[in-house]
This record gives sequence, C-alpha cells and structure tokens, in this order.
Amino acid sequence: MTVRMLLGKSGKLVFNAMMLAFSVACVFPIAWIVYSSLKTKDEFMLNSVSLPHRLQFHNYYKAFVDGKMYQYFISSALNTVTTVVVVVFLSFCVAYALSRFRFKWRNGIYSYFIVGMLIPVYGLIVPLYLQFKQFGLYDKFYTLFLPYIAIRLPLPIFLLESFIRTVPAELDEAAHMDGASTSYLMTRILLPICKPAIATIVILTFLDTWNEFPFSLVLVSQESLKTLPVGLTNFYGQFTSDYTTLMAAMVLSILPVMAVYLAFYKNIIQGMTAGAVKG
Amino acid sequence: MSRSSSLKITRVGLLGLLAPSVAIYTFVIIVPLALSFYYSLTDWVGGPTKNYIGFRNYSLLVHDSLFWHSFKNNMIILALTLIIQMSLAFLLTTLFMSKALRLKELHRTVIFFPVVLSAVVVGFVWQMIYSHDYGILNSILRSIGLESAIRPWLDDPKIVIYSVTVPLIWQYLGIPLMIFVSAVHGIPKDIYESCELDGCTGFKKARYITFPLIYDTIKVVVMLCISSNMLVFSHIYVMTGGGPGTSSMVMAQYAYKTSFGSMQLGYGSAVTIGMFVISFGIVLIFKRLAEVRV
Repeated sequence: MTVRMLLGKSGKLVFNAMMLAFSVACVFPIAWIVYSSLKTKDEFMLNSVSLPHRLQFHNYYKAFVDGKMYQYFISSALNTVTTVVVVVFLSFCVAYALSRFRFKWRNGIYSYFIVGMLIPVYGLIVPLYLQFKQFGLYDKFYTLFLPYIAIRLPLPIFLLESFIRTVPAELDEAAHMDGASTSYLMTRILLPICKPAIATIVILTFLDTWNEFPFSLVLVSQESLKTLPVGLTNFYGQFTSDYTTLMAAMVLSILPVMAVYLAFYKNIIQGMTAGAVKG
Repeated sequence: MSRSSSLKITRVGLLGLLAPSVAIYTFVIIVPLALSFYYSLTDWVGGPTKNYIGFRNYSLLVHDSLFWHSFKNNMIILALTLIIQMSLAFLLTTLFMSKALRLKELHRTVIFFPVVLSAVVVGFVWQMIYSHDYGILNSILRSIGLESAIRPWLDDPKIVIYSVTVPLIWQYLGIPLMIFVSAVHGIPKDIYESCELDGCTGFKKARYITFPLIYDTIKVVVMLCISSNMLVFSHIYVMTGGGPGTSSMVMAQYAYKTSFGSMQLGYGSAVTIGMFVISFGIVLIFKRLAEVRV
C-alpha cells in the first residue's frame, strides 16, 4: 500500500471501505447474536443468518423467567455493587495513607499491593477453594465478596496513590489549620478532587467483576448465589438446542456492559491501555 | 513529600486506614499461594488425611505427558496470538495513523468492544459461530461455494486448538492496537516530517521510525500477552472443556480437572505451582531476550 495510491480519491475510498469492512467483521459476531435473539426458533432454524422478519421478545421472557436468569442477574448485581463500593472505599483509604504519610513500612506495603498486579490470580482458584472450605466460607452469600475485592484492590491503589500525590499537601495543611478533622478532609475535600480517578476505578471494577467467571464457578454451588457467567453455562446445559433463547440470555447478560461501554468507552480504553505505554 | 510530614496522624488512624485492605488481600492472594505450595508436597485426595511426600508430586509432574501436552497447547495458542494479533495490531496502527482514514472514532470503539465482554459470553458466541448446522462460519462457506472447507470446528482433534485460538485473538485485538496507537501518538511529528523529506514511504516509516521508537511498548504488550495466554481458562472451559478427549487441554484447565474432576488436590496444587513457575519463567526469558536492541 503506497502513499501514492492512498492519495488518489478512489484509492482513499477503497482504503476506507476495506477498513469499514474489517470493523463490521469485528462486531458482526455480536450483532448476529443480538438480532438472532429477536427471531423465533423456527425462523432461526430455517435460516440462521437472515435478519428477523418481525421483532419478538418471547425469547427474552423465556430466558429471564423460565430460565431463571433474573436470579443470576440479582446475584451478579449484588456482588458487583458491593465490590465496587468496597474497593473504592478501601483503595481510597490505603492510597491516602500511602501518599500523605511517611512511616516505616510505607514502601513495603506499597510494593506488597503492587505485586498483586503481577500474580496471575486465576491460578489461585484451586488453593482458594480449599482454603474457603476449611474456613467455612464456602457457598455463602458473602463468599465472592472477598476474592472480588482483593483481586481488584492493587490497580485502584496504584491509580489513586499517584493521583493524590499530584494534589498539593498544602491543601491538607490549610484544611487542618481551619480545624478540619482527617475524616472531614478525606471525604469532603480530597474525595471530590479524586473524582476522575475514582470514575475510572468504578468503571473498570464494574466490568471486571460483572464478567468474572472462575472464582464464581468454584466458590459457590447454590443456584441463587451463582453469577451470570456461571448461570449462562448452566443455562447452556438446559437449553442446548434452543439457540434463540440462549442468545437472548447472552444479550441480557451483556446489556449492562454494553451500556457502560457506550457511555464511557473513552475512559475504558484509556484506563485499560494507558499503563502500558510508559512501560 | 517533604512537606507532608508536617501532617500528623495517629498510629491507630494509620492502622485503621491500612489494616482492612492488607488483611483481605493477604487472606485471598498471599495465603492461597503459600497453602498451595504446602498442599503440593502432600498426597491429599480430599479426605481427612494428607501425608507429606516431599517433592514426589513434582517428579510426577515432570514426567506427566498430559501436563506437557497442555503446555504445548498453551504455547501454540501463545505463538499464534503473538504472531497474528501483533502483526494485525501493528498493521492497523499504521492505518490508524493515516490521514486518509475516516471514522477513526467508530473503528476504535468497534474493534475494542469485545475486550469488555466476559470470556464466557465470547466462548458461547464462538461456539455458535462454529456450530455445524446453524453457525455463521459454515453458512458463509456454503454461500461462497466452499462447502468442502466445512469442518467440525470444535470436534476435530486436529484443528480444535486453532479453532479455540481465533476467539482469543478476536476478543483482545483491541488492547495491543490501542496501546500501539497511543504510543505512536507520542512520537513527535517532526521526526516523520524530516523522514518524509528524505523520501521515506509507508513501509520504511513503519520499519525504521515507528517500530524502534515504540519498541519498549511492544515489549510490555508481548509480556501482557504471554502472561494472559499461559493462564487462559474460561474460553476453553466453555467452548470445549479441553476436549475432544484432551486435544484442546491447557494448563489451567488441567489444574482444574485434576483438582475438581478427580479430587487429586495435592497433585492439582503441584500443577498450579508448575503453571506459575513456567509462565513466570517464560516472561523472564522473554525479558532477557528483549534486552537486545533491534
């Protein structure tokens, strides 16, 4: 592909058309699932590629009510909301302590958390399962909170620590002189300043937790405690030949992710890739 | 930092801020690592007794052909992902830098989208794409007259490992791409301009300017790619469960199967530790090799 060819008008057109075709191909698998979920089973069996003749939402009803998707939905929502709230709270506390005070173990604790970003956490499912069984933490409504919070902690601590560092310490001192307590300073002054970093943390934690699979697979066994990804694998066993209902279930499970992605894709792409460039 | 020391906090206050996080993090990430090593030195099969057997599990592991078969599959996935995903990402990056490309925002949003989907959903989507009667892959092949190319994509032991790699490449293409794009954006424009004055064209620009200048970023991306592909689990669990037979078995799936399928908890822990050591080892080897400048 030479520059000269690109300079020509028709060349530009061909180039853009090719790129568009590539992007469409990239997203087509998902689009196929979405529009097929609106077809009836017979329509899909007859021709699995064509667009639906008439939109119908029966598959969604079937997946949500008969397939008990609502159960997994509630469980995923509970786990995700709890994890996001606790992760923001804990990482903010740790980041504040690490960025504002000097004490003996400061560097040690900082590295201790950062190492967590290098440990391949999914290798931990087997030992964690054994440990949870022994401590009686297996299969409780709070079981998944612990691993979800712990594996999400390092990145937010890293992000917030470096963010708070950019806020001048004079601000804290001035607030103290005016008689502000530490908790007032943290919640009323620093927290609002950290909003951009916290927004990124909330979004990334939400996505990771909503999509998490291996921990949920091994640490809980009651139907009502299973999260959406595990629910989908159950669902698959139950509705194996019912493709359109399965597709509706899949679309339901990715709807929140899609909404968040469309609203915040800039923050998401930046948050997931920014760290790598500096090396 | 020097001024911040004038701020006072009590020991108890400091402990209150740090202790909960340190405790939960230690309990979930550090303790299992240590316990896992301990279990790997026992013959535990889930019952009340576990006997210390030294490193016998590890000597079994070294001679376990199924483990090495899984390792080989991890390496095939890694090699294919590195070659295809990296070159595709690099090619797309140069296209993204071109002034002729319109709708950049749309392209980048669309190509990155699969990254945020769960591995389970991606596994199911591709299982349906590969489906014999209803999958779009076979429909497309039929419509362009390539019926002879139709295969049982996930059931043929010879090709299944390639079939399960494609979704991985597809899903995560956006990550190296967007990392490269932002790295290339960081390259000063005048370097390109003076190069153009010297008569540099597309390929030469990419080879002699872009590539060397983002070399460090490429290293980071390759390391990310290695560590995530050595531990791939969910996609394969959903698509094939390691099958047919053991033809798409990977290390993480094997550790899961020995521990939960046959309750060999001691040996399963040894597999987990072995997997850690191998993937860290490969990252380290790569780091050493990559220090040689291009």
